Amino acid sequence: SYRISSDGKPAKFQPPPKPVIIDKQKQKEERRFLSPEFIPPRGRTDPLKFYMERKDMIQRRKVFNIPEFYVGHILAVTTANPYASEKASRFVGICIQRGGKGLGATFVLRNVIEDQGVEICYELYNPQIQAIEVLKLEKRLDDNLMYLRDALPEYSTFDVNMKPVSRLDHEEVPVNKLQVRMKPKPWSKRWERPKFNIKGIKFELPEKKMKEAQKWSQPWLEFDMLREYDTSKIEEKIWKEVSEELKK
Amino acid sequence: MMPVWTKSGKRHAVTLLKVQDCHVLRYISKEESGGKRPLLLVGGKNASPFFKSEAAMEIFREAGVPRKQKVTTFSVTDDAIIKPGTPLYAAHFRPGQVVDVTAKTIGKGFQGVMKRWGFKGQPASHGQTKTHRRPGAISTNKAAKVYLGKKMPGKMGNIYRTSFGLKVWRINTKHDIIYVNGSVPGHTNCLVKVRDSKLPTCKDCNKNPPFPTFFADGDEELPEDLYDEEVFQFTEPSVTYT
Repeated sequence: SYRISSDGKPAKFQPPPKPVIIDKQKQKEERRFLSPEFIPPRGRTDPLKFYMERKDMIQRRKVFNIPEFYVGHILAVTTANPYASEKASRFVGICIQRGGKGLGATFVLRNVIEDQGVEICYELYNPQIQAIEVLKLEKRLDDNLMYLRDALPEYSTFDVNMKPVSRLDHEEVPVNKLQVRMKPKPWSKRWERPKFNIKGIKFELPEKKMKEAQKWSQPWLEFDMLREYDTSKIEEKIWKEVSEELKK
Repeated sequence: MMPVWTKSGKRHAVTLLKVQDCHVLRYISKEESGGKRPLLLVGGKNASPFFKSEAAMEIFREAGVPRKQKVTTFSVTDDAIIKPGTPLYAAHFRPGQVVDVTAKTIGKGFQGVMKRWGFKGQPASHGQTKTHRRPGAISTNKAAKVYLGKKMPGKMGNIYRTSFGLKVWRINTKHDIIYVNGSVPGHTNCLVKVRDSKLPTCKDCNKNPPFPTFFADGDEELPEDLYDEEVFQFTEPSVTYT
């Protein structure tokens, strides 16, 4: 027996919806990550120079594994140190900044050891680095966590002997929407200003101060056409080149 | 500019210089030039032949070579004379050699005395009337004149300057690139003249170079990359200390 619609005529046979097959392999391949130091900066330099640098970077990556990591991940780096016993020193910290392009790319790790905040800036392609392990994968709301210097020390302390957190799902990197509480002002930079565009701080400042900070906003910047630098096509080309070279 | 690491873990900054279409244009003998040694005219980067007079194009026509953007002279010894028309490659230099690099510095235009000569100027406050970046006194009372060559404001930059004693760390024969230690005068992509160093401390470093030059049609087969012995090559595992 078929359903009778409000018109009184029998409804047309609707076939059941087709099953959607989610191919997990394909989804895995679709997620591309190109390390930001591969993207050449805007300028009048000859592209041959970037090609030579990229060759060297790929060569180093073949020998030494540099894992995919973002700002906010907790990493452990072992470097060769001629003055340490066992000739290797290990440092664990949260990555607060990734800077530089090409072979000079750097990342800054921060940790609080015995109530003293320590930040070390490592070069990704420095041959003295023996190993980089990702202990915890976690993206934050901002690209630059320099405000952790003015936050309460509990947000920058990480256990030096932390075990790596295992992750089975290779789908997406989780985003930690933590809002950090700050020490009382003065801070090293005026983080409430719109220039920094920080979303990861819980500002406990009075409304008046927050409104005054908005005076320094430059809303025309996002519409400035001369500042546009569309890297999507460059990224695709470079991603293809890098992935093909690394597969060899 | 790029970083380069040595096997001991030290980091050096390096400038990349590309040898683009260099040919020997003419040989000028000792008597013709009136100097102590014969000269060789060498031309750099290819350029359009349409914007120069016929007289200027004569040199290029004789050598059988397209018009070059820059022509420089090198004074050479008698045994290093090369036939006009031979191409010159980056493999003319070898890693470990020491080199002098000459180029025109970046032009800064008309500049004041503080930027051009590094004068201290005057204080910003405490009663200074309209005098903050001026030279101050230009001579003494007794001299009663201003000496020739007095440092004053004027056009700064866009003059030839040389950086001496730069070590060659690496040579790429496929793309003809020389990796030279430190910085080099001039803006990015400017034309640069590279010579063997004249410093007395570097006489030992420049032994056994390819003499008179590296010939591409010769029997010698060079690998794509030539490294100095101290340079850390990225094919090796990470540096360890024992």
